[in-house]
Amino acid sequence: MCTPDLASLAARDPAQATVTLSLNGKPCTAFPNETILSCARRHDVYVPTLCEMDDIDHAPGTCRVCVVEIQQAGKDKPQIVTSCNTPVRDGMEVQTRSKKARDMQRLQVELLMADHLQDCATCIRHGNCELQDLAQFVGLKENRFFDRAQTEARPIDLTSPAMVRDMTRCVRCQRCVAICRYHQQVDALVMEGSGLNRRVALRHAEDYPNSLCVSCGQCVLVCPTGALGELDETDRALEFICDPDLVTVVQFAPAVRVAFGEEFGMPAGTNVEGHIVAACRKIGIDVVLDTNFGADVVIMEEGAELLSRLGQGKRPTFTSCCPAWINFAEIHYPEILPFLSSTRSPQQVLSRVAKTYLPEKMGISPDRVRVISIMPCVAKKDEAVRPQLTQDGRPDTDVVLTTREFARLLRREGIDLKTLEPSTFDNPHMSASSGAGAIFGTTGGVMEAAVRTIYAVVNGHEMDRIELHQLRGFEGIREATVDLGGKVGTVKVAMVHGLGDTRALVEKVLRGETDYDFIEVMACPGGCVDGGGSLRSKKSYLPLAQKRRETIYNVDRAAKVRQSHNNPQVQALYRDFLGAPNSDKAHHLLHTYYEDRRRDLQHTVKEIWDDITASTMLY
Amino acid sequence: MTQVAYGVWDGVVYDTRPGSTHAQTPEYALRNFEDFDDGNPIRAFFGDRGFFVLDDTVSLVDALYHYMKKSAAQSCGACTPCRMGTVLVRDALDRLRRGLDQTLGLDEITILGEQMRQTSLCNLGQTCAVALLGALDHFRDRIEEELAPKKPIKAQHGMAHVTAPCIEACPSKVNVPRYIDYIRDGKPENSLGVLLQQYPMAATCGRVCVRYCEQACRRKFVDEAVGIKTLKRYVADQQSGPNALKFTRDMNRKPLAEGMKVAVVGAGPAGIACAYHLLLNGYHVDVFEKSNQAGGMAQIGIPSYRLPKDTLAMETDIIVDLGGRFLFGQQLGHDFTIEDLFEQGYKAVFLGLGCQEGTKLGVTGEDGARDGYFRGIDFLLKVHDHVDGIAPLALRGEVVVVGGGNVAMDCVRSALRLGASKVHVVYRRALGDMPADHEEVAAAEAEGIQFHTLCNPTRILTENGKVTGVELVRMEQTEPDESGRRKVRPIAGSEFTLPCDSMIAAIGQQVEDGALVEGDGVALNRWQCVATDDTLATSRPGVFAGGDCVTGPSTLIYAMAAGQNAARNIDDWVQRGSVRFFKRARMRKLISDNRFLANDVVETPVRNAYRVHNPELDPDLRKHMFEEVEQTISAQAAYAEAQRCMRCYRVYTVITRHPIPEGAV
Repeated sequence: MCTPDLASLAARDPAQATVTLSLNGKPCTAFPNETILSCARRHDVYVPTLCEMDDIDHAPGTCRVCVVEIQQAGKDKPQIVTSCNTPVRDGMEVQTRSKKARDMQRLQVELLMADHLQDCATCIRHGNCELQDLAQFVGLKENRFFDRAQTEARPIDLTSPAMVRDMTRCVRCQRCVAICRYHQQVDALVMEGSGLNRRVALRHAEDYPNSLCVSCGQCVLVCPTGALGELDETDRALEFICDPDLVTVVQFAPAVRVAFGEEFGMPAGTNVEGHIVAACRKIGIDVVLDTNFGADVVIMEEGAELLSRLGQGKRPTFTSCCPAWINFAEIHYPEILPFLSSTRSPQQVLSRVAKTYLPEKMGISPDRVRVISIMPCVAKKDEAVRPQLTQDGRPDTDVVLTTREFARLLRREGIDLKTLEPSTFDNPHMSASSGAGAIFGTTGGVMEAAVRTIYAVVNGHEMDRIELHQLRGFEGIREATVDLGGKVGTVKVAMVHGLGDTRALVEKVLRGETDYDFIEVMACPGGCVDGGGSLRSKKSYLPLAQKRRETIYNVDRAAKVRQSHNNPQVQALYRDFLGAPNSDKAHHLLHTYYEDRRRDLQHTVKEIWDDITASTMLY
Repeated sequence: MTQVAYGVWDGVVYDTRPGSTHAQTPEYALRNFEDFDDGNPIRAFFGDRGFFVLDDTVSLVDALYHYMKKSAAQSCGACTPCRMGTVLVRDALDRLRRGLDQTLGLDEITILGEQMRQTSLCNLGQTCAVALLGALDHFRDRIEEELAPKKPIKAQHGMAHVTAPCIEACPSKVNVPRYIDYIRDGKPENSLGVLLQQYPMAATCGRVCVRYCEQACRRKFVDEAVGIKTLKRYVADQQSGPNALKFTRDMNRKPLAEGMKVAVVGAGPAGIACAYHLLLNGYHVDVFEKSNQAGGMAQIGIPSYRLPKDTLAMETDIIVDLGGRFLFGQQLGHDFTIEDLFEQGYKAVFLGLGCQEGTKLGVTGEDGARDGYFRGIDFLLKVHDHVDGIAPLALRGEVVVVGGGNVAMDCVRSALRLGASKVHVVYRRALGDMPADHEEVAAAEAEGIQFHTLCNPTRILTENGKVTGVELVRMEQTEPDESGRRKVRPIAGSEFTLPCDSMIAAIGQQVEDGALVEGDGVALNRWQCVATDDTLATSRPGVFAGGDCVTGPSTLIYAMAAGQNAARNIDDWVQRGSVRFFKRARMRKLISDNRFLANDVVETPVRNAYRVHNPELDPDLRKHMFEEVEQTISAQAAYAEAQRCMRCYRVYTVITRHPIPEGAV
């Protein structure tokens, strides 16, 4: 995980701030090699920025908006420098608001607008865009250089079932490249082309399906504009909702309820489960189900599978609920696939059960059922269209809406979440859930849920203390030992979140340097509560992670049932329909398989030379 | 003497026109500035620090348009002001020169120019408006005069050239900022592609290059030069492993008829580079090599702990991938003559013979030393055979190596690995004067080598032909002469003896005796090197030469550059019977003669970020083995190092009276 530079600087001993300078005429001190921007922020002086993002330690100095005027000691003339990457010096006089600095900041934004598509009303970032804010701050009044034809000629990549990369709105801040390269370490994005053709592109690929991208969506979370976003499917969802012949079923993920209220002005981390249930009913959803129920079923299947694999001496077993992790394994480390649990993810388990068991119970035709899934995740869209998760060409999950799209859908329907009277789930078959299902939304949660159930299966009684604090925490890779008792005894488990740490762990496993029995992987740092499909924040990365985690553990603590196997509706599902966990029927409906999708990265020198010549060459 | 009519350079205004309104008009001494090529006078010159107009009738608007057009084409697009500014200004100037209605006036052009100059990220953006702003600030009346008729301005002749200090410093003119950009962009394979445009031995160069580029790197004014060689090694290692770039015959631009064949003599760096470029130009190339392996000095002269043999072999094999043939065991002067080659139908010959005979110390006792005496290059050859498993070599006791160059350092570090109990270096000057790479000296010191500087051998002591020691005399430095250089002279009576079991003379090399015979018609110069003209042509028509056999012992990169230049000239000679004017070389000379490429300090503060270093094996472990000491850096380290490049690109243009003749590119 990244440590915000600012926090670490603020925590530093003030005695180390040995550089003396003046900031807008006021004397101040700074740390050696600290940037002017960092110093200004510590002294509460605002400087407009765009490409810079402190939380991910990103200051490429490309937008050139944060220019300030400085007078260096011993120099006869003032200079203009970018504050984000220029260090302070003793005796430096910094003016952030001089006429020259303001004029240059404003002209820079006008130049940025020259090839930025300004159809703001149709943009997914409308009203929540850092570039709009910036234009306001610098007082942009004219737009002399905008060239619509040139702008519209820039590429828009619609090849992914999950994401859109729209270069007509890209400001080339490279935050997406940085998060993908340095934090997630997927390194699927490159910068390509020169001059006006400078753009973000996919490494070694023309389109998403052949790229190294795993659709984790962290790039979307850091994009300052609408250049990166999910593929918007709110219209498709509305089509289903408005069709009287269809029975629409909605499910929403454990993390959505704790990471949604702030969109409607509620405090961060508010549990809005009841509001979402009410909102879904109001927009005309027929059946409101809970993905947490799917999570409970996953624990039943995955727990049984793990015990069986342990019995066969197969170690380790990786969890399989995270679709970006599945993509990562298939594309980057296919050698690891035999170690993945075959259990489908909660979303896919719920959808399958909603199209088999539920119609049977409700006495309706499965053909009329459409499942709409609300997820804090971009990769879930990608998962939903996996061929192995479709029946006769129709996906089990018909449409996946990210949390952001769900907010958009509610606004389209004129709903303000905060004014709704919270409601409760009422489906008698698939909406009850345990506290174990709830904590699936955060790193360590799947492991904790699994241990609670496996312990009970092995020992025939519940654990004494079911809150396993040794599994909680926020370090990228955590490991713990858990005594499961009985024949199984002590097992060694690991939990990893963020793909950078996942890569390191997978390589260690492949080198045979680990002795884990069970490994939980969540591709997004922090887990689903900060998934790539969750609400965006501006100029910050994962600012609400801890609040959301707190709430999710509170949901568990307040739950009447806290183990998946004690969920009465899960018990009914097995009694009336599936038989036992890992039964033939359960295996057929709730398990899946994976494919080696390693990419061919071989090039000839001729191809490379053609690519170089296509861009600018000196010789 | 070239007379400047008017101009601005480094902020100083020059104006010698009659009726000049500028009070001060200092002289500016332009060197070698009359003609660009024969009979084609230079009318104006534009650069990163300003411009000079020599012919008052030059159109500034047209010239500035061409300058900005080149700048826009070179803009990487990373930063806002340069990406948009170059294009907007270029298009505005284009409309002005065509006499069309203005979209942006001169005031707006000035504001955009200032924005580029003061806020751009790299040197290209920071410098590309300097000439424009100089003209607008000081000669705006001149520009307005040109624009007054509102008619198209007549097009002018000339050329544009983009370069950087590191590019100019590199003998092979590798586009260094470009390959670093590609690393930063996340395309290391393209980065390797940039290197491969100049030479095939990128992995070799990334390990042993002496790095003229890094000496020129302006980052050193901030903290340390960019690790250009380290990055080269990183991208070159893309060449191995499952995703290695493939060399295919379609790289050859225009395959030529069967009979268009060229002989390359010597499979060293010069020969390999020459063969590579000839193959790319469509020729059929046979490489004659006296030994049974390719690589020449890189093969036998560089120990495997610096350059693993398989790395080199992978790169020399590229010649075969491209359709070239190696003919091993073929020694010039022994197995064939130059005359034979022409008789066999070769259209031209390239001599890359190298300098493979070690120079003697010329002291008493040297001729009588039979056992335990080596010349540096012969010793390295034995080391090579030892590593290859052909002939094991072991050293006992103490070893003395005389010399302070890279070959001497290779000898001492190899001697240590072969079992010597103690290894000494004897060098006549001070430690800081050693021509060896500083890193090599430091590595030798880390491995426990003992340095005796300001010492010179006077006698080799032997018993029955077996070396027992070396007599040395202490040297002292003289006072600095006019050029500031200090010489050394022996201190009379300071002789002392350094007992040893072996001694190695590593003070230089020369072309092997007997390679060229009388009838070859290839003249040698007074240093017993092959004599060539500027085009690398020897005294025999159709025979070109390059590398150590022309320059004396030099560096890998100079040899590869010579091979590349020779290939271009051979192509011209075979196709046209003569070598054409090479306009880029002329532009380079213009820039270097006039020191236009400023090596100035960085004015704005830059955050210190020290360079990455190749991970190394521990000295105590490595000194016993010949495995490679330095390891490749990680991708994350490469990204970080690439960020340190400041992209010191600059654009230069000339305006000439006549079109500049088309030469090879």
